[in-house]
Formats: sequence, C-alpha cells, structure tokens
Amino acid sequence: MKTVFLGMSGGVDSSVSAILLKEQGYKVVGVYMKNWSKDLPGMQCPWAEDLADAKRVATNLDLDFLVFDFEEQYKAKVVDYMLAEFKAGRTPNPDIMCNQEIKFKLFFDEARKRGADFIATGHYAGANNGQLQLAADANKDQTYFLYRISREAVKKTLFPLANFQKPEVKAFAKAHGLANAYKKESMGVCFVGDVGMKDFLREYIDLQPGEIRELETDKVLGAHDGAVFYTLGQRHGLYVGGGLPYYVVKKDLAKNIVYVSKNLNASELWSEELALENIFFRDLSDLPATGQVMVRVRHRAPLVPARFVWTNEQKLTGKIVLSAPLKRPASGQSIVFYSGNQSGDICLGGGVVA
Amino acid sequence: MIYLDHAAATPVSERALKAMLPFLETEFFNPSAAYLPAKRVREAFQTAKSEIANFIGAKGNDLVITSGATEANALAFTSVIHIIKAREQVPQKMGKILVLETEHSSVLENAKRYPHELIKVDPTGLIDLADLKRKLTDDVELVSVSLANNELGTIQSLAEISTLLRLEKQRRLAQGITTQLLLHSDASQGLALLDLNVARLGVDLLTLNAAKVSGPKGVGALYVGHGVRLQPLISGGGQELGLRAGTENVAGTVGFAAALSAVKGHSAAARKKYNGLVEILKSELIQAPAPPLFLGHPKHQLANFLPVSFPGLDAERLIYKLEAQEVYVSTGAACAASKGEPSHVLRAIGLSPAEIAGSLRISLGVLNTEANVREAGRLICAAVTAEQERQNS
Repeated sequence: MKTVFLGMSGGVDSSVSAILLKEQGYKVVGVYMKNWSKDLPGMQCPWAEDLADAKRVATNLDLDFLVFDFEEQYKAKVVDYMLAEFKAGRTPNPDIMCNQEIKFKLFFDEARKRGADFIATGHYAGANNGQLQLAADANKDQTYFLYRISREAVKKTLFPLANFQKPEVKAFAKAHGLANAYKKESMGVCFVGDVGMKDFLREYIDLQPGEIRELETDKVLGAHDGAVFYTLGQRHGLYVGGGLPYYVVKKDLAKNIVYVSKNLNASELWSEELALENIFFRDLSDLPATGQVMVRVRHRAPLVPARFVWTNEQKLTGKIVLSAPLKRPASGQSIVFYSGNQSGDICLGGGVVA
Repeated sequence: MIYLDHAAATPVSERALKAMLPFLETEFFNPSAAYLPAKRVREAFQTAKSEIANFIGAKGNDLVITSGATEANALAFTSVIHIIKAREQVPQKMGKILVLETEHSSVLENAKRYPHELIKVDPTGLIDLADLKRKLTDDVELVSVSLANNELGTIQSLAEISTLLRLEKQRRLAQGITTQLLLHSDASQGLALLDLNVARLGVDLLTLNAAKVSGPKGVGALYVGHGVRLQPLISGGGQELGLRAGTENVAGTVGFAAALSAVKGHSAAARKKYNGLVEILKSELIQAPAPPLFLGHPKHQLANFLPVSFPGLDAERLIYKLEAQEVYVSTGAACAASKGEPSHVLRAIGLSPAEIAGSLRISLGVLNTEANVREAGRLICAAVTAEQERQNS
C-alpha cells in the first residue's frame, strides 16, 4: 500500500481529496501545515479553527494526522518576501511563493523523509509524468499559483481533484456528510483569513500619506494613505470622487506620489511586451525553439498566445511578446507559460514582471 | 445527543427561563428609573439578589452581581489594592495573593496583575497545606482556592484552610502585624452539590456562576464579606453600591435565583444520583482494551465529575469520533481549538504528556440518565478501541 501525505486545511477541497485518496486505496496521512498563527488587531487568525476542522475530518476517516510547524520558515520565505516587495512598490503573490517554498518544498521534503511515497493537495491542477497540467475545471484551475514547483515535486504529487468540477466537489462533500462542506472560503490574505491585504500591511509597514496626482495634468486630486497600497491598473479606493473612474497608472515611491488617469488607454496601462525576471522552467527542454507559448497574466485570465525571448545570456531575464496589447500586470506579478498548442494544457513555468 | 460536559455549560432550566422572560418583555424598565414600574423591577432585582445570597447564607447587600465568574474573580482580587488618597484613586500598595496552581485561568490570569505566588497541589489535586503554610508570609493578604477544581472536580476543604488562616491572623495580631488576610473561593463548580454556606466555609469572598447550574450565561456574583474593601473594575452610574456600574442584569439575576431555587435542598439527592451514574459509566469504561486512569481525588471529588485518561491516545480524536455519534465531552489535552496549550491542571498533578494527551473530562448533569450514561460509556469504549486499533495497524 502506497502512503500519501495529504495537506489538509480544513476546507472542502482537501477534505474531499482525503476521501478520494482513501477510496483509491492509499494509506493517507493528513497533515496540517501551521504556517501562520498570529492574531492581528481586530482579526483573529483562523488557524486553530482550521486545524480542528482538518483533524476532525481526518479522524472521522480514520486517517493518521500530523501537524507540521512551518511558521518560522513561512515568515522568512513568504511573509518577508511579500513585505519587501510591497515596500519596493511591487505587487507580490504570496500564494505562488507559498507553493514554491512551503507546500511543494518543505512539506514535500518532510513528507518524503517520513516515508511518503507521494504528497497530495486539494489544488485544482493535474500532474502527469512530471508535467503540471490544467485542471478539468477551467474556472477553478490553480496552476497559475503552482507554476514554480519543481519537476521532482510534481512527479511525486497527486492532485485528486484534477478531473473534478467544483460543484461536484461540493456535492461529494455533502453526500459524505462532511461538516465543513459549506464552510465559507476565505477571500482574504490566505494565511490570515478574512482580512484584506491592506489591513495586514498596515500592521507591518510604516505608511506615509501622500498625493494622488492626475498623470496628464500633474494636478493634485487627493491624498492616499500609503503608496504601497496601490497597484497598477487598480480603479478602486482613490477617494477622488465623481465622474469617470480613475486608474492607477504610475507610482513614484521616492516622492510618494500615486499617479492616476481617467484614460483607460493610457500607455502605462497597456503593453505588448513584458520584461520578466526570476524566470522558471520546470524543464527548459519544454520550451519550444520558436518560443511560442500560451500565457496567463493573472489567475483566471484567458490563455493568450505569446512569444518568449531570453534577454540575457545567463537566461535570468526574458520577455514575452504578445500579438495584441494586454492590460499590463503590475510588477511583481507572475506571467505563467503553458504549452504552445491551443489547449495549452501543460504548465511550463513562468516569470515575474520586472 | 448525549451531553457529558456540564462543567462547561448547562441548559437553562425551564424554571429559570420562565422567571426571566417577563424582564425581557413587559418588565423591561430600567431599575434606576423613578416611575413605579421601574420600582417593581428594582424590587424584583433586590429580591433575586436576596435569594441568591440566601443560598449561601448571606444577605442581598453582600453580593455584587457580575457578568460571570471571571469578573467576580477579578473583582475579588481588588481587595488587595490599597488606595490611600481616596480622592485621587491612586493605588498606593498592593498586597500579595496566593493562588492554587490548578486554578481556572480566570483566577490565574487575574492574579498576575498583583504580587502573587502559586500553591502546589498533590497528585489528586488537593491543596498542599504545608506549601500554603510556607508561602503564607506577612505580606500575603489574600488566598484564593476554588471550592472544586473545574477539570478534576477535586473538592478542597475550605474550612480547614480558613482555620489555618485564622491561626495566622492571630499570630500576626500577636506580633502587631495588621495586614488583612482574606480567603477567596471560586465556587463556580458544584453549586448544586456542595454546602455553600459562607460561614461554614469560612470565606471572605465567594464567586458564583449561574451558567453552571442551569441559569443563564453571563451572570455571576461575588459575595463580599463584611469589612472587605473592593475597588470597582467598571465605573459609571454607581450601581451595586458603586462596585459594579452598568444597568443591572435583572433578567439574568432573576434567572440565576430561580436556577438556584431549583437545586436548593436537593444536594444530597443529587450527589447520590450522580454517584450512581458515575459508577455505571466507570463500569463501562473499564471494559476498554486499555482501561483508563481515573483522575482526581477518590473521595473529595464532585459527584458528577469523571476525569479520565487513556494514556497514549489523542483525546481530541476521541472527541471528534464521539461528536460524530452526538456524544459531547471535553478534553484537558492540547486541544487544537484551544490553540494547543496542554492543561496546566493536569501538568500540576504530575501527569505525563501521554497521559495529558489522552485525557477526557466527563461531567454529568441534568441531561444524563442511567440509559444515556451507559450508552455513552459503550460509545467511548468503541472510540477508544478504534483509535487503539488504528495506532497498532
């Protein structure tokens, strides 16, 4: 009997994964990864409740259950990265970093060390022969967040929900009497529950109020409470009032000025070429000689064709060239590459917008 | 449902609920208001207070109604604050408090605000009187020992402790030392089962809790003996003789009084009933493949308490297994939902980590019968067996 260590969060996806793996005949060990437990003013960290939910499900399935404490590493690898990026005026993606450094590295290594043949998670993604594949549920597909996980990890990972649609998962959970089947899914920062990123950052970053100016006229339109809160292309929360919406088009961190524009066609918002850094390929040989790939510029964005070109010899930086201008993702965000055929069903890797 | 956690919460009795309802509906008036209907409410509140006080052999004015036992405990500890310049409300000096190391967190955490020391217990949870004597230095002004421990049900002999304190007071007087020496006890557990007469217990301060005796949650009371001076924790409209501001919780207080009236005079019968039920449960539990350790004191234990440990098992898993059968029981172990802190009580009585991890607190009450206790025993054995088999596979 093969042993699978399954990351269990207490949510419906990993709980259903546990049942599926057990039904498939694996010896399943449930593992709760304790990554973050700090309460912040006015927001209680849900970890204890999540852990209890995960353990409850594991117990009722008669699974062994373990807690892996990654709090220190999570702070160092994910939270500190995230804060540094925000402070630098960029827009980081902590979920991608968490998958890369915690779930598919630390958890993977620890599970293997303890005798796991495979690890598993409740992600909507597929794995086949070391290739990371799109999930059957195109709407829920999470490969965007998984693009930086190693081939070694993919080879030993099971994604039990690969062929499931989310509504099927919910129905399955209900049919199996899972108490958490209809637990509200967290919409906030992954590790602090239902709290906005802004509230989280407020605790960690000294904020300087500054001006909001109109790009075209340089006219001061209002004030912001911290430039780090503003992301390129964002249209909410500018407090400048009235008329057509304004979009963030530029941040001058040195002068602490956020520039906005009513012009959705402002050149700052659109791009046909995107310079990338921190480029990752699970296997460089997967990259077609033509550089033709499909790309996804944000979670759930449609796959669009693009050409990838290295821009330095050490293959550290590159760029993608699109066939038509796209609304530009903020720097710090990831562009994820998929195989060049139309279905784009294999996730090759990606890079971070410079 | 088989509920085995009466030490945590109890259902509000019908008598209490009926008594409360008018004060939530028609008799909603603010007891401080001047018109006649308000006077009726004021009188009902005073009557309820008198009834609660009467239950412990005291008078209505000896009680301060609080939001529960935690507040009552916190208020009791203010007795060691000495304010010299009354008008400036500046604490000038704080006496030392001795508390039992197995006290509820509402005692321990409040004690941390003052100079304090912990008194040791023996492996059954009984106070180590020699340790108390050792630590009873001239600066000690308050000793706080709960009547019955909330995890073990171990009952302390407060009369014995108060005798010891009386001797100490005499010794101090003989030496010209005039510092006060008060005895406080949190009697949240065991209201329906023990003699709570303050004179016989020899306490100066006594904490009561409605929620554990089929009264409403959020209502407690502090008995304040004559000559004990407290400082209010909450200031405002001067209610409760200035010791607890805020509009009186009339419905809650009336409900508390009604709940007590239902158990008054029945403690011997209740003890007999729970002794019988506990024996039935024990006889089922010893049939588990690895029988449990029974914790606490074999004799000085609340009749409705059965704290046990299945060493090597994970009690939290037992709880989830039992919960799936609608059997609800509590754990003293490192429960995830309580953020993983293992019980300080079980550590204090010297249990090993494996014994703590496998501990359940079973507490019986109004919802238990011979039949459901027997059934619960069988289901606990089944859960224990399943867990042992999983571990051995």
